Amino acid sequence: MRRVRGPVFPLLRHPVPPLSASGRVLVAVLFAIWAFALSVAWSPALADDGEALKAEGPYFAVAGDPSLDALPLKSTKVDVRLAGVIADVTVTQRYTNEGQRPIEARYVFPGSTHAAVHAMQVRLGGRVLHAQIEEKQRARIRHETARREGKTSALLEQERPNVFQMNVANILPGDDVQVELHYTELVVPTEGRYEFVFPTVVGPRYHRSASAGGTSRFPATAHLKEGEASRSAFDLHVHFASPLPVSELRSATHGIEVSGEGTGAAEVELVDAGARNDRDFILTYRLAGERTATGLTLFRGDGSAGAENFFLAVVEPPKAIAPAQINPREYVFVVDISGSMHGQPLATAKALLRNLIGNLRQSDSFNVLLFSGSSQMLSAAPVPATRVNIERAIAVIDQARGGGSTEIVPALKRIAALPKAADVARSVIVVTDGYVTVENEVFALVRRNLGNSNVFAFGIGSSVNRHLIEGIARAGQGEPFIVTKPELAAAQAERLRKMIDSPVLTHLQARFDGLEVYDLEPASLTALPDVLGGRPVVIQGKWRGEPRGQLVLEGRAAQGSHVDVVPVAAPDVQAGALRQLWARSRIQQLSDQEALEGGSGQREAITALGLRYSLLTQYTSFIAVDEIVRTSEAAVPVNQPLPLPQGVSNLAVGGDGGEVGAAVPSTPEPGAWLSLLVVLALVGAALAKRSNW
Amino acid sequence: MSSAVVSTIACRPTHLAPAGWLALQAAALWPHGAWMAARVQDGSDAPLGLAALAALLMLLGLRRHTLRIAPHTGWLAAGVALTLLSNAALLVAPPLACALLAALALGAALMAWLPTDAPRAALAGLVLLALPWIASLQYYGGYPLRVVTAQASAWLLQLAGLAAERSGTAMLVQGQLVIVDAPCSGVQMAWMAWFCACAVAGLLALRDGVFLRRLPWIGAIVLAGNVLRNSLLVALEARPQGLAASMHEGIGLIALALVCAAVVAVMTRGVRHEARC
Repeated sequence: MRRVRGPVFPLLRHPVPPLSASGRVLVAVLFAIWAFALSVAWSPALADDGEALKAEGPYFAVAGDPSLDALPLKSTKVDVRLAGVIADVTVTQRYTNEGQRPIEARYVFPGSTHAAVHAMQVRLGGRVLHAQIEEKQRARIRHETARREGKTSALLEQERPNVFQMNVANILPGDDVQVELHYTELVVPTEGRYEFVFPTVVGPRYHRSASAGGTSRFPATAHLKEGEASRSAFDLHVHFASPLPVSELRSATHGIEVSGEGTGAAEVELVDAGARNDRDFILTYRLAGERTATGLTLFRGDGSAGAENFFLAVVEPPKAIAPAQINPREYVFVVDISGSMHGQPLATAKALLRNLIGNLRQSDSFNVLLFSGSSQMLSAAPVPATRVNIERAIAVIDQARGGGSTEIVPALKRIAALPKAADVARSVIVVTDGYVTVENEVFALVRRNLGNSNVFAFGIGSSVNRHLIEGIARAGQGEPFIVTKPELAAAQAERLRKMIDSPVLTHLQARFDGLEVYDLEPASLTALPDVLGGRPVVIQGKWRGEPRGQLVLEGRAAQGSHVDVVPVAAPDVQAGALRQLWARSRIQQLSDQEALEGGSGQREAITALGLRYSLLTQYTSFIAVDEIVRTSEAAVPVNQPLPLPQGVSNLAVGGDGGEVGAAVPSTPEPGAWLSLLVVLALVGAALAKRSNW
Repeated sequence: MSSAVVSTIACRPTHLAPAGWLALQAAALWPHGAWMAARVQDGSDAPLGLAALAALLMLLGLRRHTLRIAPHTGWLAAGVALTLLSNAALLVAPPLACALLAALALGAALMAWLPTDAPRAALAGLVLLALPWIASLQYYGGYPLRVVTAQASAWLLQLAGLAAERSGTAMLVQGQLVIVDAPCSGVQMAWMAWFCACAVAGLLALRDGVFLRRLPWIGAIVLAGNVLRNSLLVALEARPQGLAASMHEGIGLIALALVCAAVVAVMTRGVRHEARC
């Protein structure tokens, strides 16, 4: 037999001879060795999430690398001190790393819409790092540099006035990092009742991606599924330091234990055994029965050069009296039926609408627009509020199930385009949970196009986006309402009816006699907004000279002209918070202006205020950096997952088949398995006929 | 494939039976298999590839008696080279590209045992269809397909006297916005049609040249079928009462059945003559 000359390995010979049995086995062994080498080299630990495309909208958290602590936020503790109309709040977030790799914890959390966040500090291994306020980009660069250098760093940014993002980089295995935030806010009474709100969770916001034409920016939030409770603990303690006795302490959202009620030093503790941080904490109370802590409060600066004096005026309006004649009105109800409203929120909205529409007068007319991805109008033109029309409207609303995205801007544009009779007053009533990221677009739209209507906004659910609700009301010269559950719907509907029928004070103006004031909020005292719904008039500003004189408030009430005179009291040395509250109010006014103009035209003014008064804003952030290099291993980013707000279903994120955006009708192909069955049946038929071919 | 078929193939009078070779090669390609299994498990792609794999194994089972005793060494060498390449590519290339190389490696090894008159192109098509393509096709090809579908549907509806216009991949029909989003692109229909074509061609042992010449028709049929399906659904969706989900599903399935029937008709046209050419 002739031997084939050439290389020993047959595959390298030419022509290639057939492989012998041993050759095939050898090749197979080589494959096996190759596969083993790959199995050693290819480890999930080498996967780098940092290279993954960033999500743009909310998403469900999935379990990942077990060596990573995916839930670094272990607890949030809140201490609230309430004195008069000012709340001082300290929030302590405790992060630990129980995994084996360094992490960068990222946590998106809510805050009060009026919060003036003025300080932050970080406790790490017995040391205290005091955060500094810095311009946002500069703070980011410092944080990134510290992260790369292996230093522990905490960066607090504002995403919205009521949504913040905390980034804590280089939390090493075994570390215990405590971040303390301090903020102050104004607690303004409505009809003598105070309401302190502490939001605990950010609801999943519908976000139109940039590729789909969206222009807003919002951090993508990881969420737990419906019914899955957060493993992060939550505790809250309120103590009053009020000159007046505190009474009627209630919370409709959480179980509380109250001590010292009836005194000025009452205490409130949470007693809920279950989940506490999936809904807003709402505490209501009164001060000395019907009295409220109103009046004029002055604060004098420390006397150094450049020190400023501030004042806060809170003036209670007179009681509303129903006018004798009520003119017919036109009501347009704009109702959100998106995925995040599915279930309990929509049930609450339906109860509210049954009350709102059911109590219209026959002389009124109304229309209803239901919106999610698209919108649907009850009728082409407003219809009289007859029993038949009301029942028809309620039947249509009752059929809504809740699903799809939240395209609120096109819905409001449709309302703005509705023709309006000149002699009929129109009220637009927006009903939504506010889970969108286009707040500024909405505010500008309301201000520009709905100026000839009063716009009232009802926030529905356990954890409403109050920034949107309050902003719509402010832009539309209306009032915000929050309805957390169906049982509260009737009372809020009645409140709106009273408010529309009888505004308390109109043609309102104020002046200071004897006190030199400047930098006022609102800027003009000669055209103050009408007072609706028993809310007090709030004026903030700076003063100079001697603290003397009086504030005179004049307006028209139902029973004739109304004058309030508030004397100037001696400055209160404890009222240092007025400094931050004034700056917060000015920043809000500039932000409203910026939203109306578009772009970032007020960036410089807002940044200057943030830096000067040490306030967190959309252009300034708090940063605390440890100067010790603690690791050379790159920290893995970990997004702290948030629970879904109480009553909100998976449809809010797009799970369980309810894709975000699905409420705009589309034409999807049929299910994969059913389709495959059809194809297999056809192929089977072809096979069956094969014998005939 | 049943265990009987496996044992029959494994007992061929060679030192390493084709099934044994393919099994060993598949074992060497396990990282790709693990990736594909993970994609199916985590829901990132429809598990349709399993159906293509099952069809391929069934066709091989039917043809087990015609497999060559001595494999074609050129194809075998190509299989080995592609196996090494696909595994090496894991270090630099995206997983889908590596899995494509792995599928080609298995396909090449398969070719080594197939007789010359076997429907190689159809079987290779099934090997390729076994890969998790759907999500990637949606991502890269979905948008143009959606634009084409939406535009063609708009023209069709205009011909039917409806007020229809396209904006991007959305349509405004009789004042109602309807979107032609990713699940409407027709990618799944295209997969089904190709699967149908490959399976029928494999069953009928259609010659490669005939099969490849008829393949472009499949694309045209799918496009036309999807445009018709989309137009009908859009017209019905634009009504004030919309369209029930069950009607959606039913119309989609009927459209798919018609498309696949057309594919079968194209593949079987003159089959008695063509298959013997």
